[in-house]
Amino acid sequence: MSDPVFECRSASVTLSLSGGARPIISDINLDIQQAEFLSIVGPSGTGKTTLLRMLGGLLHPTSGEVRVNGAILTGPPEGVVIVFQDYANALLQWRTVAANVAFGIERKLPAKECTDRVNAALDLVGLSRRAEDYPWQLSGGMQQRVQIARALALRPAVMLMDEPFAALDAMTKAGLQDELLRLRDQTRTSFVFITHDIEEAVYLGDRVAVLKGSPGRIEDIVKIELPSLRDQISTRQMPEFLAYRYGLHKAIGHG
Amino acid sequence: MADQARRSGINWAGLAVLLALLVVWEASVRFGLIAFEFVPAPSSIAAGAIRLSREGILFTDLLHTLMSIAMGWGIAMVIGISIGLLLGFSSIARKFGLASVEILRPMPGIAFAPLGLLLFGFSLQTELVVTVLPTIWPVMINTMGGVANIHPRLTDVGQTLRLSPTEIVRHLLLPAALPSIIVGARISLSLALVMAIVAEIVGNPAGLGYGIVREQQAMNPDLMFAYIAVVGILGIVLNAGVLAVTTVLWPASTRSMA
Repeated sequence: MSDPVFECRSASVTLSLSGGARPIISDINLDIQQAEFLSIVGPSGTGKTTLLRMLGGLLHPTSGEVRVNGAILTGPPEGVVIVFQDYANALLQWRTVAANVAFGIERKLPAKECTDRVNAALDLVGLSRRAEDYPWQLSGGMQQRVQIARALALRPAVMLMDEPFAALDAMTKAGLQDELLRLRDQTRTSFVFITHDIEEAVYLGDRVAVLKGSPGRIEDIVKIELPSLRDQISTRQMPEFLAYRYGLHKAIGHG
Repeated sequence: MADQARRSGINWAGLAVLLALLVVWEASVRFGLIAFEFVPAPSSIAAGAIRLSREGILFTDLLHTLMSIAMGWGIAMVIGISIGLLLGFSSIARKFGLASVEILRPMPGIAFAPLGLLLFGFSLQTELVVTVLPTIWPVMINTMGGVANIHPRLTDVGQTLRLSPTEIVRHLLLPAALPSIIVGARISLSLALVMAIVAEIVGNPAGLGYGIVREQQAMNPDLMFAYIAVVGILGIVLNAGVLAVTTVLWPASTRSMA
């Protein structure tokens, strides 16, 4: 196996809140490989978002370390980008779709390359025809695709996604799940995908990590050995899929 | 909905009502239904306006008032936006400054007119004191609110896209606050017009406001009403002008404004 893109070594985050210091996540050990899809599930309040913010460099681990391509992470690292759940807040409402997608690269790249990348990213998420619209003219699913395109335009090695589909309806969600898997195959990007939806975690993941407790710890990491070409209908009916689902529900403590 | 009405062009029904009111007014004066000596018919007001503009005095007065509005509003913008940004971005500034703002804000600006007169006499400076002080508040409060209400997610976005702190302020926070700042600027502009006219009535013998008083004292109600009409039209034009400029410069920022 090649070197992991991402490594966490007994990383913990303690936040100082009004009631004093409170440990949020503790002793996190994780490796993420290139083009791997890692799902992280857990009940609310177990520090899923904190874990993701730490991986994205928005929070420093209080102890332990996080490495990206071998280098210790000190701030938001190059090649790693977060996609947030609340797309309406995360998009720049005063910019067109194309200008939103360009936002992360326009100050760093020549105009020509920037335009090419924006067009390619919009193409990948199927929004080329809406490039000149404003975010508020788009449906929720499309707005979330704009945010994904903005992340893709950076050509990231790792995309960190914080419950990106939680606010979307079931059909839109299914479509975007398949789109993510296709993007992973096309771009070889690694994904860390936070969700509280166990089925979503199994359907998308190469592995599923279970975060549990307070402070949150990684309770278990389950390798998902389903055929790599997933299908919304047949994959979800496989006995193995149901077995993973059952096992994870048990691990989280629902059963 | 206001947007739709705006886009569909001229509001004919509304204009028809306005026209009907003018006709009723005209008829009432002509047929003696209104017996007041000093209420002229719209036709004589229009004739008065034409006479005033032929003499050139209307234009001079309009120019003076426009200039005082521009100066007063401009000064208020600079002060209001600066303090508003400071209060919006810094919780320390809010902690120390907000009480003063809340105490000073409800004070009627016109109360400072005697002070202006004492300091500067009947002059443009007095007019500016009266115009600037109340005009600062709307833009200051809206700027502060606009900055304080920016969703923290935008800063997260800036960080994950690896913008520097100055780039985050310049490319994310200021544009996000801009619609509120523009709303405040528009309210301030309407207020600047009102205060400039008031100042010209009480403190500076020049401009449209003084024109109203001058013609009143000269017993020329048709000319007095002509000045009042010009002030009204000026208010409409200024507001429409600001809206048009902001729509062209920042198309997205005026989406929810009417």
